[in-house]
Amino acid sequence: MFEYALSVMIFLPIIGGLALLLSPVSQSTARIVGGLLSAIILFIGLELFLTFTATAGMQFVESRPWIESLGISYSLGVDGISLLVLMVGAILFPVVFTVLSARSKGFYANLLIAQGAMLGAICATDMVLFYIFWEIMLLPIFFMIGLYGGPNRLPATLKITIYTIAGSLFMLAGLVYVGVSYQAQFGKWTFDIVQLSALDLGGGWAVGAFLMFMVAFAIKIPLFPFHTWLPDAYTEAPSSTTFVLSAIMAKIGVYGVIRFVVPVFEIEFARFAVLLSLAGVVGMIYCGLAAISQKDMKRLLAFSSASHMGIIAVGVFCMNVQALTGTLFQIAAHATSTGILFLFVGLMEERMGTREIDDLGGIAYRAPIFATFFAIAMLASVGLPGTSGFIGEFLIILGAIKFNAFIGFLAGTTLIIGVCYMLWMFQRVFFEKTNDRTTAFKDLKPTEALSFLPVIILIIVMGIFPQIFLEKIEPAAQQQVAKVFTMTQGQVADTTAPTPGQNNHTN
Amino acid sequence: MYDFTSLLPLIIIGTGAIGLMLLSAYERIQVDTASYVSMGFFGAAFFVQLVVGCGPNNVIFENLFNGMLVSSNFTMIAGLIIFGCGFFTAMSSNTYFKVNSFCTLEFYSILLFGACGMVLLTMAQELITAFIALEIMSLSIYILVGYDRGNISAAEAVLKYLMLGAFAGAFFTLGTALVYGGAGSTKFADISGFVASSGGNTPLLIGGAFLILVALLFKVAAFPFHAWVIDVYDGAAAPVTGFMATALKTAVFAVFANFLALNGDLHSGWIDFLFYISVFTMFGGNLIAIGQNNLKRMLAASGIVHSGYLLIALVAISADHFTGSVIGYYLAAYAAGTLGIFAALSYLGGEGEKRATFDDFKGLAKVRPYSAAAITVFLLSMAGIPPTAGFMGKFYIVTSAISAGQMALAVLGVVSSILSMWYYLRLIIKMYFHDAEESFETVGSPLATTCTFVLVFCVFAIGLYPIVI
Repeated sequence: MFEYALSVMIFLPIIGGLALLLSPVSQSTARIVGGLLSAIILFIGLELFLTFTATAGMQFVESRPWIESLGISYSLGVDGISLLVLMVGAILFPVVFTVLSARSKGFYANLLIAQGAMLGAICATDMVLFYIFWEIMLLPIFFMIGLYGGPNRLPATLKITIYTIAGSLFMLAGLVYVGVSYQAQFGKWTFDIVQLSALDLGGGWAVGAFLMFMVAFAIKIPLFPFHTWLPDAYTEAPSSTTFVLSAIMAKIGVYGVIRFVVPVFEIEFARFAVLLSLAGVVGMIYCGLAAISQKDMKRLLAFSSASHMGIIAVGVFCMNVQALTGTLFQIAAHATSTGILFLFVGLMEERMGTREIDDLGGIAYRAPIFATFFAIAMLASVGLPGTSGFIGEFLIILGAIKFNAFIGFLAGTTLIIGVCYMLWMFQRVFFEKTNDRTTAFKDLKPTEALSFLPVIILIIVMGIFPQIFLEKIEPAAQQQVAKVFTMTQGQVADTTAPTPGQNNHTN
Repeated sequence: MYDFTSLLPLIIIGTGAIGLMLLSAYERIQVDTASYVSMGFFGAAFFVQLVVGCGPNNVIFENLFNGMLVSSNFTMIAGLIIFGCGFFTAMSSNTYFKVNSFCTLEFYSILLFGACGMVLLTMAQELITAFIALEIMSLSIYILVGYDRGNISAAEAVLKYLMLGAFAGAFFTLGTALVYGGAGSTKFADISGFVASSGGNTPLLIGGAFLILVALLFKVAAFPFHAWVIDVYDGAAAPVTGFMATALKTAVFAVFANFLALNGDLHSGWIDFLFYISVFTMFGGNLIAIGQNNLKRMLAASGIVHSGYLLIALVAISADHFTGSVIGYYLAAYAAGTLGIFAALSYLGGEGEKRATFDDFKGLAKVRPYSAAAITVFLLSMAGIPPTAGFMGKFYIVTSAISAGQMALAVLGVVSSILSMWYYLRLIIKMYFHDAEESFETVGSPLATTCTFVLVFCVFAIGLYPIVI
């Protein structure tokens, strides 16, 4: 059965979603069907995680040729790098179906298609296949924001769509360049990422292609200064869509860098690493400061999410085992903490019709369970020891200091900003005085509490026993870093191992 | 004998055209019948072409009739696309003329004649033949464009097209004469042989080739000969516009590729010229398309942009690296998407095409979700979003450009398709994110609707199983 597990995980939700769109079912039936499908995916995902062995290679591989004249194949696989990202995409969806309700069946159908496409992008080991899923996953997001979003949804939809498609199309050109170069060097066509890593690229167009890839991923992550679509899109999207965007889609951007850019463009990557990690840090600081001044809770969380994506990105660009494992771990931690916060805000908006911080207050007195859950997720998001957020951020900062003390220092101190806006927001929303709106606030219903509980437990388990997760991803991370290191050591040694006190910005 | 086997589809279409013309003398025969008959002939020709080209007895001949025509995989595919376009056009015309009653039997006959000229053009391997085919095609299209005599915009369209088209035809003839003077022959093979031996730098040859290129660029609406296309597409009836945009482009690009691919020297002499033409075509087309409020005008402008993409493949073409398969594939993908939209317009447009602007299609998804979904699929295919045919087409074009070392052109093509996202998305947004203001009732036969959904299937089928010749 597990031979085709990945294909099932990808196409079950896509087919289910299309079937929902085409058949005349009611909104509540669609919700149940969606919930069931996502539960099936959840169990397949858990089973995959448990049977995954801690080695460096690809597992659960499926491969068959598709377009043979260009060496494009339908090949899927999971390794330590994609494992946790895949888990995030597989495990968190049932919560979306149980907690928030939507206006029509179309929303649930789109949600399912988005899940399928995202899982496809995560599992694909062929670049063209990855690109196809990468583009498909934007379409349901486009319809979800445009059809079910907030009052200013149209500009937000256009912004995110055109922004991301622009990035993707550049990536298409870069991707074809990689394929053509492989053909020129080895005499045959392939887009398989394992084989492409043997490429030896150089020259102006290689840098150009690298930048094209990076633009696509930087927009998705979003990396400073490509983040401008994010506040609008995250705020206007329905909360469950925001959750999908923040918890999964942004992560695929980071994952794409690790999986497709690093192995192919080792030299260019090493050359730009300092610049890119600086972009990550600047994004952290900028979005963190912007978050402090927000009045809308969702917009605040949007900036906070972007700020945390900055540190995840820094982890990728540091190119050492600690930072890379930290990043992969933090991808899951960020999804379970910051991502889940969007669902909480969605609940609050559904019950009180507002998410302005000034309109709220004293929720903790009315809804203690809700407040506790919120607090745990929030503390994980700011990286309190004992929660999932601490492990990832600690590892990343450790790696960053090894890579470049200045960037490590900036990343470490910037985390304080996160604590500031989060705790201040928490104080204003959950404590202080209750008002007419918040006195009527009801605590979580048992079903809601039960659907959030596993995630909350996961946050704590990940914080206390990180080894369960780290041991599965470490071999692959080590292999990845080792490969990059041997390739780049001779050529840009001063970038990867900076001497203390010397500033490397000019690389 | 075998020469005629390759020509069999063409003969079928020709017979159909003449037969229908004779039939139209009888009063009792309905326009409906004529559309079924023409569909039958297109279908038969398609099938025969398929059997002749891809059947068990693979009778492909490089040269027919002493080198006057050529029959290769590329011309076979181009022929298939043209027959397919004709078939679907006849199908959607059937519905279109249920509400717009200016049709007579001769319409379908002329449609068949047009297809006849186009298929001949794809096979032409000699300049005089090419000219004759070009004129058969053009004359038929002129008549089709101006078929609605009472309509002022159709009259304007045909006048513009006829005047400018006549100039293009004259250029082509003059070019032929000059080339004949320079190379001593009108056969492509002999011209390329002469270029290979002499270097091809004679002024007569250069001038002649230039004039021929101008005529061909005019026909595909490339910059700077693109200005006519907007008004002509707008003035013609929706099915005719669809036919023009797809079949005509296929035929002209086929002969263009055949002409350019023959000789490396001839091609490399024009490569810079074509490079700039394709860049300006893409960006000029985009600039025009972004400002349009009328759907048909937008599609006309986007047709210019697609011509630009096809010119990229022509820049990348060479004798040893024949990108004909890329061109053929892209044309098929583009034809499926464009014909689909025009088929949808044929039944959604209503009487006298009263629904024409973007605003008229507001809220279509709320009232007719399946039609809106179909149009969305076509638009996404034109925009090149996977998993549609348009994506694979774009992928092949970019691949061919980069393989030929034209990285800059590939990047510019990508930038241009980013720009084009705007006007494709705009219609999707109008259809989905606004509330409906009318009920979009349609009358007439369901043929155009069927045609639309068959083409949706085609878009995905071509995209997921990209059989490249």
